[in-house]
Amino acid sequence: MKKAFLSPWLSIRVQFVLAAVFVVAAISKIADPPGFAHQLHNYQLVPGYALNAFALVMPWLELLAGLALFAGLWRRTAAAILAVLLLAFMGALGINLARRHPIDCSCFSTAATQRSDEERLADMKVAILRDIGLLALCAQVLAATRPVTGQLSQRVLSQRGATMSASP
Amino acid sequence: MRLIGRGIVLLGAAVVCAAVSNALAGPERKLRWFSSAEATEDRFSSAEAAASKPAPVPATPGGADPPASTAPAMGAPELAPHPDKPWVEISGDQVSALFARGNVPFLDARRTAAYREGHIQGARPFPVWEADVDDRVKAFYAEGHDPNGAIVVYCTGGDCEDSHMLGQKLFFAGFNAVFVYRDGFPDWQKRALPVTKGDKP
Repeated sequence: MKKAFLSPWLSIRVQFVLAAVFVVAAISKIADPPGFAHQLHNYQLVPGYALNAFALVMPWLELLAGLALFAGLWRRTAAAILAVLLLAFMGALGINLARRHPIDCSCFSTAATQRSDEERLADMKVAILRDIGLLALCAQVLAATRPVTGQLSQRVLSQRGATMSASP
Repeated sequence: MRLIGRGIVLLGAAVVCAAVSNALAGPERKLRWFSSAEATEDRFSSAEAAASKPAPVPATPGGADPPASTAPAMGAPELAPHPDKPWVEISGDQVSALFARGNVPFLDARRTAAYREGHIQGARPFPVWEADVDDRVKAFYAEGHDPNGAIVVYCTGGDCEDSHMLGQKLFFAGFNAVFVYRDGFPDWQKRALPVTKGDKP
């Protein structure tokens, strides 16, 4: 069971899913920084002086981490960055849900919507659930790419190193 | 340790990409790195400075207030200049009364794309989230409008704050009679008042 959960077969698919989700999410925000800054402003969490810089850089971080996962480069770093972002998104949505402040998620689109407060609040809950799912995917990548440590694995590694060096 | 190092490298790459893409973006897509919306100290400090000097901008002189004197019947007290606060919210009735005067500037705080789809006839685009809004405000000021003359700003009503942000900018530029159309463009459409499409006012 644990082996199946950590298998490279599963991990590579998880990485592709994460990559696809975050690349798509990033592109809409990169295409319209003023729109994203506006929606970020509606969250009422990021202080004004940092708002625009945040709105400019964060989508690019999503995109680069997504592309890294797609390419299979720096997978742990990319998965860790996405996990941190997801925790931040969940926190931001959670705080606004707690204070019953309805906002557009701005997860995949920066267009302002004309919706009722109830619809917005319901969508925020859905977005948090989606983030939990994505966080689980990040956890899979982090677990599956964990560097091998411990005595046993060290021995295995050194054995492999020995065999590798023995057979040129 | 390596994780943090690589994380910093990716963050740095994101900053570089953001800087390049923002530098290449057109005016509708450009965002200032540091918003000037918070730079609100200017007016109060300059107002204090002006108060100590002989004041060049009289706030409410005795009878030199053309809008109020020309239209005393239509809620003039509410539509009087208010140098103590950045903006005052007004209703659709008051806005249409100001519109009927014909000489009151209307400024649209929504995004350029929304402006293009339809705006109050004669309103000019002042998209408050786009990078060149401060230049537009400066240019508007340079046109030499009466600092105590009414200006109407609007966005989409409801919880839209764009018009208030623009009102703030205008107030700090020196305008004392900025009125926010509380219910905004949707209310204007509901009233079936004149609307223009396209880039021109």
